[in-house]
Amino acid sequence: MDNKIMTQKDLTEVKRLQLAKKIISKFLVYAFLIIIAIAVLFPFYWMLNSSLKDRAEYELSIPTFFPRNPMFSNYVDAIKAANLGRLFINTMIVGISSTLLSLVVTVLTAFALARLEFKGKNIVFGGMLATMMIPGELFTITNYITVNDFGWINTYKVLIIPFLVSVFYIYLLRQNFLQIPDELYLAAKVDGTSDLKYLWRVMIPLSLPTLISITILKMMGAWNSYVWPRLVANDNMHKLITNGLRSTNLVYSDGTTNFPVQMAAVALVSIPLFLVFIFLRKYIMKGVSRSGIKG
Amino acid sequence: MVYGKNQWKAWLYLSPALILLAVFTVWPIFNTLRMAFLENYGLMSANGGATFSFGIGNFLKVLQYKKFLNCLGNTMLLTVLTVPISTILALLIAVCLNSIKFLNRFLQTVYFLPYVTNSIAIGMVFAAMFNIVGNITSADLSETGNIIVTSGIINNIIEFFGGQPISWINAKSSYAANIAVMVIYIVWNALPFKILVLLGGLQSVNKQYYDAARVDGTSRARIFTRITVPLLSPMIAYVVITGFIGGFKEYSSVVGVFGVNMGPVGDAGRLNTMVGFIYDALENDNQGRASAAALILFVIIFAVTMLNLYVSKKKVKY
Amino acid sequence: MKKRLTSFIASVLALILLALSLVSCGGKSAKSNFTVPDGGYDGSAVTLKFYHTMGSNLSTVLGYYIEEFAKLYPNITIEAEQVGGYDDVRNQISNELTAGNEPNIAYCYPDHVALYNLAGAVATLDDLISSKIDITRADGTIEKLGLTDEQIADFIEGYYTEGQQFGDGLMYSMPFSKSTEVLYYNKTFFDEHDLKVPTTWDEMEEVCKKIKEIDPESIPLGYDSEANWFITMCEQYGSDYTSATGDHFLFDNETNRSFIARFRDWYSKGYVTTQTLYGSYTSGLFTASEGIRSYMSIGSSAGATHQRPSKDDQGKYPFEVGIATVPQIDTANPKVISQGPSICIFKKSNPQEVVASWLFVKFLTTSVEFQAEFSMASGYVPVLKSVAENETYAAFVSKADGYDYISALSAKVCLEQEKAYYTSPAFRGSSTARDQVQALLTKCLTMDDGSAEAIKKAFEDAVEECEYNG
Repeated sequence: MDNKIMTQKDLTEVKRLQLAKKIISKFLVYAFLIIIAIAVLFPFYWMLNSSLKDRAEYELSIPTFFPRNPMFSNYVDAIKAANLGRLFINTMIVGISSTLLSLVVTVLTAFALARLEFKGKNIVFGGMLATMMIPGELFTITNYITVNDFGWINTYKVLIIPFLVSVFYIYLLRQNFLQIPDELYLAAKVDGTSDLKYLWRVMIPLSLPTLISITILKMMGAWNSYVWPRLVANDNMHKLITNGLRSTNLVYSDGTTNFPVQMAAVALVSIPLFLVFIFLRKYIMKGVSRSGIKG
Repeated sequence: MVYGKNQWKAWLYLSPALILLAVFTVWPIFNTLRMAFLENYGLMSANGGATFSFGIGNFLKVLQYKKFLNCLGNTMLLTVLTVPISTILALLIAVCLNSIKFLNRFLQTVYFLPYVTNSIAIGMVFAAMFNIVGNITSADLSETGNIIVTSGIINNIIEFFGGQPISWINAKSSYAANIAVMVIYIVWNALPFKILVLLGGLQSVNKQYYDAARVDGTSRARIFTRITVPLLSPMIAYVVITGFIGGFKEYSSVVGVFGVNMGPVGDAGRLNTMVGFIYDALENDNQGRASAAALILFVIIFAVTMLNLYVSKKKVKY
Repeated sequence: MKKRLTSFIASVLALILLALSLVSCGGKSAKSNFTVPDGGYDGSAVTLKFYHTMGSNLSTVLGYYIEEFAKLYPNITIEAEQVGGYDDVRNQISNELTAGNEPNIAYCYPDHVALYNLAGAVATLDDLISSKIDITRADGTIEKLGLTDEQIADFIEGYYTEGQQFGDGLMYSMPFSKSTEVLYYNKTFFDEHDLKVPTTWDEMEEVCKKIKEIDPESIPLGYDSEANWFITMCEQYGSDYTSATGDHFLFDNETNRSFIARFRDWYSKGYVTTQTLYGSYTSGLFTASEGIRSYMSIGSSAGATHQRPSKDDQGKYPFEVGIATVPQIDTANPKVISQGPSICIFKKSNPQEVVASWLFVKFLTTSVEFQAEFSMASGYVPVLKSVAENETYAAFVSKADGYDYISALSAKVCLEQEKAYYTSPAFRGSSTARDQVQALLTKCLTMDDGSAEAIKKAFEDAVEECEYNG
């Protein structure tokens, strides 16, 4: 349709076709996204559904999609199971401090790996990647002996420090930093801006979406971790919420797991956190767009 | 390569991470190596005062295991199938999501839900979808010997469209059906994180490129292959490389679908993986054998990652 | 790229070399069994950690008896801690043992003790049990440190001997509270059709056949645990399963192959199913009030309330549940499995901690009141015969029926079969054997080729797998 002369009729026809095409493609996009959303929602719904069943209903051969008579008492059982207030505070202390410290370490490391030139950079980066290639289950015992030698058992330190560094997130942020054009950095250098200032003023704002993701995931990690906290910090002053919720009242007298109450416990622990993050995410994203930074 | 004068600065920034990694990751790896080279090393036995001679017996024992190739094969097959599928799907979702305004925030939130969903709940959903409740005596479910209470949502859908229900994860199920379910499970599990990462990457991409492309009247497909994918390539590389590393460590997903038997009824261990093998060894106080298997796994992941890095170096645009 | 590869290889080699230099690290010296120090408990102040898996209602019962114990021994402080399920207790302790942080007392299963024994960590109790030392308690009364003959005789024998299943005949654990398997049946249906509750496996086959004629859609029998089924059959036939000494894995024999072949036939006729074969809870099949269901269910005696159907809209149970001893090969010499927690004591450098732990363990396991109260709260069976004569407990059992007081009914059946309890040997690899026979049973019941050779091959594979892991 480049330079040919078109009649008015042809033109409306083309426009109409384009519009139809646009609508169809939009429709397909939404259909695709909504189908995926349903697939993703289903397990979450199932968790809530199961958390409201009694044992007999839970053990039915044909699962029911709605609890016949919702057992809200499962939630009461889950709450009663532990000293929730104290556990909540413990978990907040550990979750927030480990997330903040971890962000600092991750940003510094990713910055050095993405922007700075130094001898042995590839070896450092490769070595870090290599540590991801051995199943972490093998580390538990050695780390337990280490923290025991440090005298860290039943302290906050033992819950925060050992897993502060996550190569998984360092690598993610490094990739994100690498997306930011070199020219910006070189220009900053010419201007005499210091590295840290550049990092703070340019790199971090530009990588905010990734940093938010890391924050959320790290926080969730602290909220959901079980094996390590259970092993190294099981006094009441340091016990975390998952340990409190998982350990009591979640087993029937015949030794089998009480899944409905366990689901209720998981829902109790994660839903408030989830709501906080929806709020936080919205707030931060607003801040990003207001400050006028465009990717 | 020209190095800056302020190399010490780089090391300063790196030092917190390096020190922590040295203590809590590298040291345990040394210990893993030590245990791998001590014949039949068991932690409990070591505590009890047993001594172990140096040797490569643990490695031989791992390689001699009758089902070693089976474990390795399952691990590789699952990785090779799931990494590309989940990456492409996540990329499509992220791009679609980035292109819409209405419902955008809502859907982003929904895609985040799996993080607060317990993995046991996901396992239960798969049971509701694929599990057949009843006695299966023949792979052909229409035979009279079978007593079927319920055949699962997926089979219900198949029957609705006039198809033949099949045993997916129960007795008499085929290996192909088992793998199909595993692939769905793993992709399902992996999607949210990949979407999050790719979406984050997309939001960092300079919008001017798109505006320019739009003015030129470039087609959607062309924008995708010529602009989106190259600009997003660091994140795609990340997702693929970490996907491979994680894929080779697959274990809990198999437990999620098949339970600790690691296979359908009647064929326990059919879907066992390398990490599943390592767990078995740890359960039986055989840290030596577990460590040896971990090192063998390490060598394989290492080789694959080198290959990945090599390819990405050629393709990724920074 | 090439440069990076070489540097990688170099660093890997460096790691290996460093590791080799660390090889010479030795372990701790071997520990001997526990001997009672002169004078027994000297009254010194000790704090004891006790790991268990009790839910909050049971913890309350325990808490009360801890207070009672403190009145007798004010210097012994008990810190009871709930550590998740049985596997959690095992994992926690096996990790803690590496740093010497293990508790003093713990809930245990024989397989766990076999694991801790590799580290020589569990104190043997024989010397304590036989001790004649008198201990004066805070209230002025005197007790023997050891167990009197009457006390030993009061334990249900099958439970007591579980502590000696480790190959050397020494006592490693005390029974705490127990359960077993029982046969639940739909009494309403059995009465209606004039069916006889099976006491032997032959009768079971007949009953299944009759039920299939009455309700062809049903699966007459659901067996919860395949492993228990296999092991109990070995015990009932007197055929080999495992041994704590010598060759461990002995279950590949003619008798075992033949009962498996028989059950394969039952499965193909639709007489029987198990939890994994069925793909859902067999209790759900048993309590179903419509569609495909079962009329008998073999499961844990502690789970009696879950084998009872839900009440209908009028608040009535759809059917009455009956409970009986599981079918036998020889009714004159019955065998039923013994399950449920025992309790073990860990060695400590301070022998007073071990003696104090023993005093507490003895207090709980020999107290009729505690055993009675704990059993009523938990649905488990007391380990002492005399609990049956305890007033409250007797009143509880006398209420037994197939509806609201089904737990009491289950307890009653368990008490009546006190001579039948058995336990299987525990050693490194005994849990693998359990896993393997479970897989073996389901494999033999479902595989396409049911010939004797195919079954033989499946047994050989299972033994090979055990020997590899053991």
